[in-house]
Amino acid sequence: MIRQTLRQTVAQLTSVLHQRDGQRTRQLLLSPGQFGLGLVPERRQPDAITSMVCGYCSTGCSLDVHLQDGQAINLTPTSEYPVNLGMACPKGWESLRVLDSPDRATTPLLKNQRGRLEAVGWDTALRTFVERIKQIQAQHGAESVAFISTGQIATEEMALLGALAKFGMGLVHGDGNTRQCMATSVVAYKQAFGFDAPPYTYQDFEESDVLMLVGANLCLAHPILWERVVRNPHDPQIIVVDPRTTETAMQATRHLALKPKSDLALFYGLAQVLLEEGWIDRLFIEAHTSGFSEFATFLRPFTPEVVEAATGIDEATLRDIARIIHEGRRVSFWWTMGVNQGYEAVRTAQAIINLALMTGNIGRPGTGANSITGQCNAMGSRLFSNTTNLLGGYDFLDAEHRRKVANILGIDDACIPSRNSWAYHEIVEGILQGKIKGLWIIATNPAHSWINQGQLHDILGRLDFLAVQDMYHNTETARRADLVLPAAAWGEKEGTFINSERRIGTIKKVRQAPGMALADFSIFRLIAHYWGCAELLSEWDSPPAVFQILKRLSAGQPCDISGIEDYQMLDRLGGIQWPFPSDDPPSEQQRRLFADGRFYHPDGRARFLFEAPRPMPEPPNNKYPFLLLTGRGSASQWHTQTRTRQSPVLRKLCPQEIYVEINPLHARELAIKPNELVLVESQRGCLWAKAFLTATVRPGQVFIPMHYDATNQLTDAVFDPYSKQPSYKACAVRIRRESVSTKSTSRGRP
Amino acid sequence: MSVDVNHNFEPVNASGFSLVDMLLDEQRQPTAVETFARLQVADRLPTQEKYYRELLPLSPPRPGEQYAFEVDLDRCSGCKACVTACHTLNGLDENEVWRDVGLLHGGTTDLPVLQHVTTACHHCLEPACLIACPVNAYEKDPLTGIVKHLDDQCFGCQYCVLACPYDVPKFNKKKGIVRKCDMCSQRLAVGEAPACVQACPHEAIRIKVVDRQDVAHDCESSLFLPGAPDPQLTLPTTNYKSRRPLPRNTLPVDYFRVRREDSHLPLVLMLVLTQLSVGAFLIDLLLKSIVTFDREVLFAVHPVHCAAALLFGVTALASSTCHLGRPLYAFRAVLGLRHSWLSREIVAFGLFSALAGLYACSSWLWPTAQENVSLTKALGAAVVGSGVLAVFCSAMVYQATRRPFWNAVGVNTKFFLTTAWLGLAAALLTSMIAVGWSGSLSASQALTAYGELLCKLLLGVSAAKLTFESLTFLHLRAKHTTPLKRTALLLVGPLAGVTWKRFGLGAVGGLALPALLLQSQTFRPGPGFSDQAIALIVSGLFLASLAGELLERYLFFVAAVAPRMPGGLA
Repeated sequence: MIRQTLRQTVAQLTSVLHQRDGQRTRQLLLSPGQFGLGLVPERRQPDAITSMVCGYCSTGCSLDVHLQDGQAINLTPTSEYPVNLGMACPKGWESLRVLDSPDRATTPLLKNQRGRLEAVGWDTALRTFVERIKQIQAQHGAESVAFISTGQIATEEMALLGALAKFGMGLVHGDGNTRQCMATSVVAYKQAFGFDAPPYTYQDFEESDVLMLVGANLCLAHPILWERVVRNPHDPQIIVVDPRTTETAMQATRHLALKPKSDLALFYGLAQVLLEEGWIDRLFIEAHTSGFSEFATFLRPFTPEVVEAATGIDEATLRDIARIIHEGRRVSFWWTMGVNQGYEAVRTAQAIINLALMTGNIGRPGTGANSITGQCNAMGSRLFSNTTNLLGGYDFLDAEHRRKVANILGIDDACIPSRNSWAYHEIVEGILQGKIKGLWIIATNPAHSWINQGQLHDILGRLDFLAVQDMYHNTETARRADLVLPAAAWGEKEGTFINSERRIGTIKKVRQAPGMALADFSIFRLIAHYWGCAELLSEWDSPPAVFQILKRLSAGQPCDISGIEDYQMLDRLGGIQWPFPSDDPPSEQQRRLFADGRFYHPDGRARFLFEAPRPMPEPPNNKYPFLLLTGRGSASQWHTQTRTRQSPVLRKLCPQEIYVEINPLHARELAIKPNELVLVESQRGCLWAKAFLTATVRPGQVFIPMHYDATNQLTDAVFDPYSKQPSYKACAVRIRRESVSTKSTSRGRP
Repeated sequence: MSVDVNHNFEPVNASGFSLVDMLLDEQRQPTAVETFARLQVADRLPTQEKYYRELLPLSPPRPGEQYAFEVDLDRCSGCKACVTACHTLNGLDENEVWRDVGLLHGGTTDLPVLQHVTTACHHCLEPACLIACPVNAYEKDPLTGIVKHLDDQCFGCQYCVLACPYDVPKFNKKKGIVRKCDMCSQRLAVGEAPACVQACPHEAIRIKVVDRQDVAHDCESSLFLPGAPDPQLTLPTTNYKSRRPLPRNTLPVDYFRVRREDSHLPLVLMLVLTQLSVGAFLIDLLLKSIVTFDREVLFAVHPVHCAAALLFGVTALASSTCHLGRPLYAFRAVLGLRHSWLSREIVAFGLFSALAGLYACSSWLWPTAQENVSLTKALGAAVVGSGVLAVFCSAMVYQATRRPFWNAVGVNTKFFLTTAWLGLAAALLTSMIAVGWSGSLSASQALTAYGELLCKLLLGVSAAKLTFESLTFLHLRAKHTTPLKRTALLLVGPLAGVTWKRFGLGAVGGLALPALLLQSQTFRPGPGFSDQAIALIVSGLFLASLAGELLERYLFFVAAVAPRMPGGLA
C-alpha cells in the first residue's frame, strides 16, 4: 500500500520532470475516422461523411467532406471517384478554409453619398437593384444592361440567372468569364464536330501510348490530371508543346519549345509530313470527315523549311514527332490555355483536331482531340448558362429552337431574345460606346482578370450602375461596385457542376453561409420576385427542381442527361458523364464520344477547318524587345487569388509578390541581379516585379504569372475573331532596372 | 419587352410572408444529412489503402535499420498536395506546416532544369534537435528511428529550431511549444501511410526501411541536394532519388535571397546582460587583486558594484525566461546536461547567480570583510569562475548550431569581449553611482586609483571588438555566395541602418568617451572635469556601450544566416 503510493508519487514527480503525455500531446492524437477514412485528428472525428465535387478547376475532383452535426469540419479526397482516385491538389485540400474569412461579404453593401460602400438590408438592396436597372432600361432600352457570369457557380444557378436575365428582365447581352478560358474550345468543337463536345474521358490519359500536350502545364494547372498521366502503364511518349520549359515540359519525353504563337505552322507542318508520308487513316477520313482534300491542298506550302522559320522547330524534330504520332497506336492530343488564349486560337485548336481526325485518333480509348477546361463548371456554363447558347445548347437565332425551349419551359417564346448576345469584350466596348449603362457581375473579378486592365478600369468607371455579386466584399471588382450582393460559396449551397470530361457531380450545403449571405440561386429568385417576373420562373424554385428542367431541355440534344434521376443517382454512380439519355442509359463509368464515328453535324461528318497563320498582332520591336507570356504560377494559386489568398497554408506555398521570369542571358546584358526589382513596361502600362532569372524562359521572352493584379496592366486587348477569347499570352514589353531613387516615385500604376 | 419603372412589388405580402426571410432561413439549414450521408464502409481497411499499399515497407525495421522517407524527384511535380494533406490530416494549426516544397533550377537555355523538392523532417541518425534539447523533449525511437517530439515535455526554448539545419521544428507561439513531423508514427503503427505519402498524386514519397550504416556511409559524400546543408552535420535519412543527374549549376531558386533571421530579442537582452554581469564581477576581482584601494573608496564602491552586477544578471535571467514558451517548466533544463549546451548554460548561470547573490549580499552585510578574508576572495573567484564558464556555455550554445557566423572563435571572442567591455563600463558607472550614494566621496577621488586603468583597458577591448566584428565585411569580397557573405550582405544591405548605429555607438562608448576621460586628466591631480561632467560622460559611455552591444547581439541573431533546404520564390 505504502509502496504503491510511493511509486505513484515518484511517477508523478517523474512526469513533472519528464512528461510524455498530456494535453499538448493529445492535441495531435489521431483516432480511427470510420467511413473508411483511416486515422483522423481526434478532435475532428466525423459523425457523417458526404462527397462533393471541388469548386476550383474543371478537373472535378470529389472531396469527402467530414461532418459533425451537418457542418463540415474537415475534408479528404474521395478514394473511390473515377476522376481523382483519392487525390486532390492543395486548393482542394484547403477548400473549407477559404470560407472563413473577414473578407466574406456578409450583408448587401450599397454605395452611399460619399462613395463608400455601406451595409444595407436585403430589401433595400433588392429594391435598389431593380429600380436602378429598370431606370436605366427605361432610359436607354432594355438591352442597355448586361451581365457577366461565371464558370464558378452551379449549373442550376447559371441556368436560373440566364433565364431570369434574358426571359424575365429583358436583357440581351450576357456573357461569362468562361470567355476568358474556354470559348475557343467551344467554337472549335462546334465548328468541327457540330456540337461543343469534348470527346474524352480521363481514363484516356492512362490508355494512350502517345500524349501530346499543347500549351498545357498539367503539373501546376491540373495536378490531378497529371496524376492520371503518371499512372499510365504504357510508358507513353509525352510530347509537350510549350515555349517555356514548364514542370510538365520537364517531364516530357519530347519538349517542343516552339516560338510563341507559332502553333498553327507547327501543326500544319506536322499534318503535311503525315500526309506526305502517307501516315494517315484514309478509311476514317473518307467515312467520317469532310473537307480533307481542301485541307491537303492547303497544307502544301507548309514544308519543313517554312515550319522551321516560323516555329524554330527543325525538320528532323518535325519528322520525328510525326513518326511518333504515326507509330502510336493510341494517340491523344490535349490542350489548355496556351491554345485557347490566342489571337488565332480557334484555328489552332482545330489544327490539333485535324491531326486527330486525319490519323483516326478519335473515338477509341486513349485517343482524342481533347480540350482541358479551366473552371469547375465551365462545361455547365457552356451548355446551360443561356449566354452564347440558348439553354441546353440551342441557338437563339433559330426560331424553331426558341419555340422548342419556350415550350419546354412553358413560357411565351417572345420572351426569348432572337439575337445573340454580345461577347464579353463587346459588352466592354458597349460600355465605352455608351450602349451599356448597367452591368451585373456574378462571381468573377474582371477588374483583375480582364485584358488591358488600365483601360477596363476606365471603362467600368463609365457605368451608371455596377452590381457585383460575390462571396468576398473586397475583390478588385467588388470594391468598384455601386451595389454588392453577398453570395454563399461552394460548400454553402447545392447544385451540380460539369467537369472537363462531361461528368456531372454534385455540390452540397455543408457549411453555414456567413451573415446574410445567400446562395446565388436564392439571390436570383429574390431578384425575380422583386422584379415582378417570379411567375415566369415559378417552377425554378430549388436547384433540384431546376435540374429536372435542365433534363427536359437536354433531351434529344447531344448533351442529353434525361436519364439521370436526381442528385442521389449522381452520387451513387460516382458522377455521370453526358450523354445519359433516358431511353438508353449507358452503364460504363468512363465513356468517350464518337466511338461510332458519327459526329454531330447533320451529315454526321467532322470538318477539317484551317486558315493561313497570321502575324502576331504585337511582336517584339526595338522599343519593346521582349515578348511577355502569362500563365499559371503555382498549383496553390487560383486565378485572381480571391479565394486562395484566404488560406494561410496556400499563401505559404506560392510567391507573395509578383515576379518576372527572365532568361539569364538577358539578365547579364541588362545587369539584372537575381531578385532585383525591375520595371516591366508595355505600351499600355507598367509594373514592378522581382526578377527570377531562369533558363526555363527562352531568350527574347519573359513570363509573369497571371495571379497578380498588376499583370494585366501590360496585356494587349486582342481577341480571336471566332471565339472572341482574349489573347493573354503574347504582347511586347521592355524591361528596365531603375535606380533606387526613382523606384519609390514610379512604383505606382502608370 | 416593356419596362415598368413604377412596378409595385410586394416583398412582404399581406400575410407577413417575406421571401427574403424564408430564403435566409433556408440558407441556414444544411443539406439534410440523411440525403447524402455515406453509409459506414464495411471494410475495415481505409479506402485509400489501395493507393499507398506499395509505398510502405513490407516489414518493420530490424535492428540497425530504421524508417526513412524516400522522394522520387522524377515524380515530384511541385503540386504541394503533400503539404496541405499533412496540415489537414494531422489537424495542424492554421499557420502550421510540417512539410515544404522547394524549387531547384539550373541548366542551360537549351536544356533548362526545374526540379521541385518536397522536404520534411529527415529523421536523422544524429538529430541536432535531440542533441540540442535541454529538456529531453526529443526521442529517437529505437525501433523505427523516428525522431519524435514530446509536446508536453517541451518548454518552448526553441533551441532545436536554431539547431536543426533543415528548419524542421516549428515553434507554435500560441501553444508555447515546438512541434514537428513524426512521420505520422501513429499511422505507421497501424499500417497506414503518413499523410504526405497518402496524398501525393504522383507517388513521389514513400517510406523505406534503411540500414543506418548505409545512411551514415551515404552521408560521407557531401551531396544531399544542391544548396542543402551538409548531410554530415546530422546524417539525414531521407533519400532523394532521380534518374536524371542535376546539372552542376543547379541551385535553389531562393539561393540568392538574403533574408534576416529571427531576432530572438529576449536572448539578445539575456546574452548582453549576463555578460555585463559576469564582466562586472570579473573587473571587481581584477581591481581588487591588482589595485591598492583606499578603504573609503572600497567600502563605498564595492557593494554598489556588486549589487549592480547582480541586478543586471538577474534581469538577464528573467529576460531569458521570456524566451521560453512555457517558463514555468524552466527547471526541466537540468535534464539535458549530458548533451545540451543550453542545459549547461542554464545550469551554469543558475550557479553563477546563486554565488553572485551570496557574494553581493556578503558585500553589503560585511563590507569590512572585503578587505582581506580569503573566504570572500574565494567566493569572488568562484563567482567569476562560474560566470566565465556560463559565458563559455552561452557561446557553445550557438557554436553547436554550426552556422558559420556562429563559429566557436567568433562567438567566444564576441561574448568574452562583450563581457570585458561592459564589465569595464559598468565598473566606471558603479563608481559614479557609489560616489553619488556616499555623498562624501568625489568622483576624481574614487577614480584616481583605477580610472585610468579602466579607460585604457576599455579602449583596448572596444577597439579589438569593433575590429573583430568588422572582419565580417571581408566576406563581401568572397567570390561565392557563402553563408558568411550572405551575413555580410545582410549587414550592409537590409540591416545597414542597424550596422551603422552599432558601430557608431560602439565608437562613442568604447573609444571616444574613454579617450575624452583620459585626455582630460580627470584621473590625475589638478584641474579636470567637474564631478557632474564626469558623471555625465561615464553615464554616456555606459549607455552607448550597452546600446552598442545590444545592437551587436541583435545583428548576431538577425544576420546569422541559417542553412535550410531549398526554398521557393519569395
